[in-house]
Amino acid sequence: MIGAVRSRWTIVVLYTSLTILALVWLVPVLSAAMTSALPLSQIREGWWNLSFADLTFGNFVRAWEQGLGQHVVNSFIITILSVALTLLTGSLAAYAFAQMSFRFKATTYFLLITTMIVPVQIILIPMLPWFRTLGLNGGPQEYLGIALVHTAFGAGWAIFMLGAFFSAIPKDLLEAASIDGAGWFGVFRRIALPLAIPGIVSFAIIDFVFVWNDLLLALTLLARDRQPITVGLANLQSPHLAQEDLVAAGSIMAILPPLLLFAALNRYYVRGLFAGATKG
Amino acid sequence: MAPQHATATRAPREKPSARRSSRRSRRLERYAPYLFITPLLVIFVGFYLYPALVTVLSSFFRWGLLRPWSPAEPERWNFVGLDNYGQTLTDASFWNATLNTAIWLVVFPLLVAGLSLLVSILIWYLARGGAVFRTMFILPMTISLAATGVIWSLIYNPDPQVGLLNAVLDKLGILGADWNVGPLEVHTGAWLSDPGVLHLGFADLRLTNLALVIPAFWAFTGFGVITLTAGLTSVSYELVEAAKVDGANTWQVARYVLIPALRAPLVVVGVVSVIFALRTFDIVFVMTGGGPAEDTMVLALLLWQQAFAFLDTPQAGLATAIAVLLSVVMIVAAYRYLRQLLTEKPG
Repeated sequence: MIGAVRSRWTIVVLYTSLTILALVWLVPVLSAAMTSALPLSQIREGWWNLSFADLTFGNFVRAWEQGLGQHVVNSFIITILSVALTLLTGSLAAYAFAQMSFRFKATTYFLLITTMIVPVQIILIPMLPWFRTLGLNGGPQEYLGIALVHTAFGAGWAIFMLGAFFSAIPKDLLEAASIDGAGWFGVFRRIALPLAIPGIVSFAIIDFVFVWNDLLLALTLLARDRQPITVGLANLQSPHLAQEDLVAAGSIMAILPPLLLFAALNRYYVRGLFAGATKG
Repeated sequence: MAPQHATATRAPREKPSARRSSRRSRRLERYAPYLFITPLLVIFVGFYLYPALVTVLSSFFRWGLLRPWSPAEPERWNFVGLDNYGQTLTDASFWNATLNTAIWLVVFPLLVAGLSLLVSILIWYLARGGAVFRTMFILPMTISLAATGVIWSLIYNPDPQVGLLNAVLDKLGILGADWNVGPLEVHTGAWLSDPGVLHLGFADLRLTNLALVIPAFWAFTGFGVITLTAGLTSVSYELVEAAKVDGANTWQVARYVLIPALRAPLVVVGVVSVIFALRTFDIVFVMTGGGPAEDTMVLALLLWQQAFAFLDTPQAGLATAIAVLLSVVMIVAAYRYLRQLLTEKPG
């Protein structure tokens, strides 16, 4: 028998209270989903009074055409570029921190870890002039610029989390390959990397969600037509404009990609955070 | 993964000349760690360390964003010493934002820790189905805070025909009610403009802040649930059985067996919640923009507005001072947590 409770009465209370809590927890998402699928006239009479005949995709079509479509595309460009850069540079560095020794290792580790704590506001203000100096403004190169900032701020998480997975690889295994004549990079690419794939997938999902959901960096650093969906949504939201239909449709567009990723790879996402939770 | 293993074992045989070049490659390998960390380090220095240093330095100068402070143009420097800090620390909006941020710092971690403790203990007791419940609480974590703000603005909509919260209160007959309990005044209905005041004598705390803390709490509790359920996996059922044989009831088991096992995970949840609360920007920006008046203004939004909303006035020096103060507070708050991470440093 698994489970710590034997009395049937206690089990009923447990399941009932958790079910109620969990349902209440999902009400806001349900509310947004229903609002996004109803015409404005119906929203004004309460989405909970809906008749199923009124359900429509019209809000999504109009929201997409009013510019949110471009924002969604921008979100994908920024997120994929950032995650790719972070994985590429982060897994190399995390492996070095986990399995190699070198000078100033502790100091560099400390500096990189501070990115987990220090708020992005510390770099925000000089960033625009710095982008101009580097030629990273006023064109598609802005995507690269913000991806580099995301990579810098993901550095701490990358070496912390990927490092946990890389250091779980037995040293003997890596040494054996090295004695067999494989160079450091060969050992990394052919042995360490394949073994760390589950960890890399976990980190990639968490980083995807993190970058996709950024508002502050994109709002500050990007020109309007390159801003992601979070900024597009924030601009749409105004208590003075009666457009709950568009706002709700936009929020669903912003929610869906990370949510689908989470639904598909839930196990990896939770395992990654679990690893962070138990190591931390 | 199987084919990759195959290449791994085959790898040495592909290079018969490995022996000959091994002396040179051994020398190269001494530099290998540096080659591995260089790409990340270059990005880190260029897009974090250098700009952060510029922020710290520029906080000692007077300048505006139209003509930004630059380390390369000493002829334009307008050194003012600690003036930006002095001005910030004597500014009423700064202290107002600090007070509001302090409310976040107290309320938010308590809500997150409280509910995730309850949920994770309930889940721990379940024989099956725990993962499903856990997933439902984790789900809002994947939603951006911008979208969270938008969704909760719909819930809070003052019109009971549109906003779910007021519709429920309307059904219960308490929409628009005024309650006065001692120093506490509550009005139901206008959640984002005037939900009430707590009179403290020396200050009046507007409850609008709490209306903004709740969406953040909703979005973030999943982190607490993950962390605490992970912590509870170390508790064995045998221990609980033993406590029960000794006559402990369900509440005593939770109090004396489960919660002590959660001490370290609770610290993690607390520290990460504090960092989250200090960084609060998105939800306030989307839902109220810091208003009405400055009732919901927090430090992260105040510094953003001072730097980017008033381009023509030289406030950017002030904004950098707030950014530096905020970072210092965070490093102090998270220092022990950071130390813990560092002592577990790999290698």
